[in-house]
Amino acid sequence: MSVSDDKGGDIMSIPGAEDTIDPATFEQILEMDEDEVEREFSKSIVYDFFGQADQTFKKMDKELEKKEGKYLKELSELGHFLKGSSATLGLTKVKDSCEKIQHYGQLKDDSGTKDIKEEEAQEKLAKIIKQAKTEFDEVKEVLKDFYKDDAE
Amino acid sequence: MAAPLGASPTPPPPPTLVDIPLSKTEDDYASNSLAYDDIVRFTPAPTLILDASLIVRHVSDSYVTVSAASDREKLVGRHADDIFDIAVTLPAFAPARKAVRAARDTRRLHQMKIVTETGDAWNLRAVPIMRHDSLRCVQMEFLNVTEEHQRQLELIERSYQNETYRILVETVRDYAIFMLDPSGHIATWNAGAQSFKGYTPAEIIGQHFSKFYSQEDRNNNKPARELRDALSDGRCEDEGWRFRKDGSKFWANVVITPIYRDDVLLGFSKVTRDLTERRKAENSLIAAYEEASKLKSEFLANMSHEIRTPMHGMLSALTLLLDTKLNDDQRELTQVIQESGDVLLQVINDILDYSKLASGSFSISHDIISVPDIIQSVLRAHQACHRPEVKLESFLDPQLPRSAEGDSLRYRQIVQNLLSNALKFTETGYVRMIVRLKKEDEGYFTILTEVVDSGIGVPANGSNTLFTPFTQFDNSATKRYKGTGLGLSICKSLAELMGGNIGFHPNPEGRGSVFWFTAKLKKCKQLKHIENLQHSKEALKILTSTLVDPRETLRLVAANKRILLAEDNLINQKVMLRMLAGLGFDSVDTALDGKQAVAKVTQEQESAPYDLVLMDVNMPIQDGVSATKELRDKGLQVPVIAMTANALKGQAESYIAKGMTGYIAKPVDRNLLVKLLLNCLKRKSDG
Repeated sequence: MSVSDDKGGDIMSIPGAEDTIDPATFEQILEMDEDEVEREFSKSIVYDFFGQADQTFKKMDKELEKKEGKYLKELSELGHFLKGSSATLGLTKVKDSCEKIQHYGQLKDDSGTKDIKEEEAQEKLAKIIKQAKTEFDEVKEVLKDFYKDDAE
Repeated sequence: MAAPLGASPTPPPPPTLVDIPLSKTEDDYASNSLAYDDIVRFTPAPTLILDASLIVRHVSDSYVTVSAASDREKLVGRHADDIFDIAVTLPAFAPARKAVRAARDTRRLHQMKIVTETGDAWNLRAVPIMRHDSLRCVQMEFLNVTEEHQRQLELIERSYQNETYRILVETVRDYAIFMLDPSGHIATWNAGAQSFKGYTPAEIIGQHFSKFYSQEDRNNNKPARELRDALSDGRCEDEGWRFRKDGSKFWANVVITPIYRDDVLLGFSKVTRDLTERRKAENSLIAAYEEASKLKSEFLANMSHEIRTPMHGMLSALTLLLDTKLNDDQRELTQVIQESGDVLLQVINDILDYSKLASGSFSISHDIISVPDIIQSVLRAHQACHRPEVKLESFLDPQLPRSAEGDSLRYRQIVQNLLSNALKFTETGYVRMIVRLKKEDEGYFTILTEVVDSGIGVPANGSNTLFTPFTQFDNSATKRYKGTGLGLSICKSLAELMGGNIGFHPNPEGRGSVFWFTAKLKKCKQLKHIENLQHSKEALKILTSTLVDPRETLRLVAANKRILLAEDNLINQKVMLRMLAGLGFDSVDTALDGKQAVAKVTQEQESAPYDLVLMDVNMPIQDGVSATKELRDKGLQVPVIAMTANALKGQAESYIAKGMTGYIAKPVDRNLLVKLLLNCLKRKSDG
């Protein structure tokens, strides 16, 4: 499972890919492609993820605005959900931020070990969701570049 | 003089006796008046009558006897001082002389007690007899009072002792010492009792001693029981809570002893000590010890974690480094680092295991395991790397069950540890692994696993501490064999967790050792079904042994296998499906939550049961863990692999404990998945 791929171009050579994408995991997805030029499968997955992330972020914003009922639990679950798919794709930064959303939603600190107050959690959540979105936008650009998608 | 006494048939009437001195003239005192003479002569008290110039006038018979004078006539008419000089048997005549003079001079009765060197005691009495203010005579008496004196001495001695004890008891403040009457009422009260029970003597004397006991003790009739025990055993000692006047309690040591005089029970002595401080000290010592030992375990566990994480990083980096283009020197050095790293990791894992075992937070899982397979696999692993001078042999009892419920990882850990120990300490000869079915009853198999070697053996003095943590019998500074000394103690705990035992004895063939352990494995329910699969298992074995690439092996195994993938995230689901398809699984169903998964597995069980379930842990509606539990509760033994992004150590073990067969971290690494699938599917066809 060598990362360098002389046939389809190396995603890691795209600026901004470093640190945001785990090459081994993403390579694993790429290997599932039958055609290394079309990359039909991986591309569909990646674009599915774009859609899923957009939706999830919207839901997160709604819950954070609501600030009532089980909104923290919802946020934690949404964080976990997006963590799962971003992890599968190897989108490291987004994954890490989602994990933090998951922890804050459970009123825990970054590492999920210490308890924090609800107010602190709200603050941290607002900040980390914003950060996750930025990270998502950044990695989105890299991926789009990789799939030579020049729309937008 | 005796004659007139005898001659007179009727003694004169008493009044005459009184009249005698009065009727006599002044010179008449020496007259032979019968009564007067008799009084002086026959008095049992040795007596001398001296006249005013201290000349002896009369001597009693008793005096003659005690003074051992041969002739009473020799005494009469002599001066008192002379008599006191010659008489040798009477004691201390200097005092006698003094007494006589004192009586004469003071004209008062003079009495003194003399104790001689021999211990005899005499009572000297000098009585001046006065008439018309002038001294008529002096009556001297010598009474032997030795016996009385002895008695008196004893009495003094005894009262002195009593007094000493009384003072001792009364002044002791650290002990409550007091007497009870035979019925248990308080009779005496010392200062100690007052100071730490708080009652003054006036308040407490006469009360029953059960007052010091708790209500509960009183209800249980403890005070009366203690008196009874004291009577029957001669003593009763007890430790327990007692109560002060103010209601506070103290931890007391109490000794009750019955006191008899002439076989009559006088009462009981009761000595009470306040042990509250000692008890407090003991308790805080115990607490401190427990705390320290807990802290130690926690510290070990935490440190091991902290060390293990970077260790893993380092080792993975090394693996990657080994894949790069290295020259021979670099490769060799890198391999050295890797090997040392592996050893270090093993040491850390040992410590972690040990501290978990010590703190009791260690559980054994119950998978379906095949002992012969585990043994074969351990042997295979060692076959490649042991010394060529050592023959590695194995004997497996054909009666061994092909499948039973147990913890394959932990069973393997013990076997591995014993085997690698044996290989470590054996330079030539053999290491032999013998596995036997020791016992089989309705519910369990008891498996005896022995590792016999012809190595250096264990010195006689080392065999006691073999299974003690952190001990190695080779503790010399130039230790030849590395290790923490934890391996065997971990094995011991593991064997015990598996309902078994571990032990050692010297190799009966001479050199070397035999280490053995037993494990109780629960029988599987569908045993018959499994035996039927024996053929396919054999077939599989041939396959696996000839093929090298696990992915190719899996492709063969995958044919006709049905998998259920439970995953709520569609992206992950899509990726997993694709990955599984790539591995040769063409019959994969999906479920979006735990409930669906349970439903599908149950539903398909009759027609075409799934061979394996891949189960996401966090899912809406029903999570993967509870879904697995539900499946197990329904008696469905399909292998379930947990998939989780919460790849915390310990959590994975808890999934396994809750019925999962294995687990894989997300993002799923394909190579790991291949291994895991192979393991589970092969195991399934085995058992």
